[in-house]
Amino acid sequence: MSASVMRLISSVVGLSLGGLFVYAGIQKHLAPYEFAEAILAYQLLPSGLVGLTAAVFPWLELTTGALLIIGFLMKAEARFASGFGLPGLIAWNGVLTRRSSLLLIMLQLGLFILVLLITMARGLKIDCGCGLFTDRQVGPGAILEDALLLGAAGWLYWREGKAESGEEGLLIPVQSK
Amino acid sequence: MIRVTWRRELTLAVGLLGLAVILGLSFHWSLVQTAFRGNLTALLDQKRQERREVQFQGVKTLDLAQAYQTWQEQRALFVDARKAEEYQELHVQGAVNVPPETWAELSSSELIKMDRARELVVYCSQESCDDALKLAKKLREAGFSRVMAFVGGFRAWDEAGYPADTSR
Repeated sequence: MSASVMRLISSVVGLSLGGLFVYAGIQKHLAPYEFAEAILAYQLLPSGLVGLTAAVFPWLELTTGALLIIGFLMKAEARFASGFGLPGLIAWNGVLTRRSSLLLIMLQLGLFILVLLITMARGLKIDCGCGLFTDRQVGPGAILEDALLLGAAGWLYWREGKAESGEEGLLIPVQSK
Repeated sequence: MIRVTWRRELTLAVGLLGLAVILGLSFHWSLVQTAFRGNLTALLDQKRQERREVQFQGVKTLDLAQAYQTWQEQRALFVDARKAEEYQELHVQGAVNVPPETWAELSSSELIKMDRARELVVYCSQESCDDALKLAKKLREAGFSRVMAFVGGFRAWDEAGYPADTSR
């Protein structure tokens, strides 16, 4: 398969993955009390930490999803911080953006799968709180959905590592300074 | 060209995590604070009640004692709104099952062919599930005028030791 076709496929997969995370994050952010109830039903966290998780997790999904989308739209390099004399630390480019957000997305998906497996093993029949478009119970379907997303994120991360030398993004021509 | 190193990748990832924490705390500070103070359950009960009053406006509800009295008097047909496998395992004695996956074709179900003046009590798994209210609302819209939701659900019924049947 040619490089440009692979580039298009990875962009579509990356933008879809980012879109799904943004959508899931917005849904949870708009219904924090329902999300807290869903977390509580897992009986894994002390209730003191359920509030913190319900508050932060939607924003983690939202920011990682949004940054992944930005990463796929950005051109390779933009030294936003160079004007502040901090290019080494904060220098930012498309590959870095994509890999960092993918790293966090993989971490979240790995955590979801682990929690689902523990819950299945404990025999709890609860709503997973993870259905993107419909309510769904903890079970093989939810695990398969997350495993597929994890596979996609892993493939993109690996691909970005391979193509580290600065492939361009799709739409936004950010020029390096 | 910026070299993508592990250090930079992790720095940006940690920064993103920090941003999520700041945004989450700013938007939902009261939720976080209430949970830390140990009042989460009361807050969730209150919020659930407020949401249901809007979302399921007009749907009558029963508590455990009222549901049991209705069952004892054999006034109403109990409708189990849980999944078929949960119903088969254990359900309120005499209840019929209308699982969520059949709600789209509710108009062709046996239940809908019944007398619309029949009293119905719908229940799902537990207090936190909305399925009893959802189905009760659908049945009201289908013309059943005496439909009520037993909000404690099967868990409350079972924990009280009230009569239950299995279909296995």
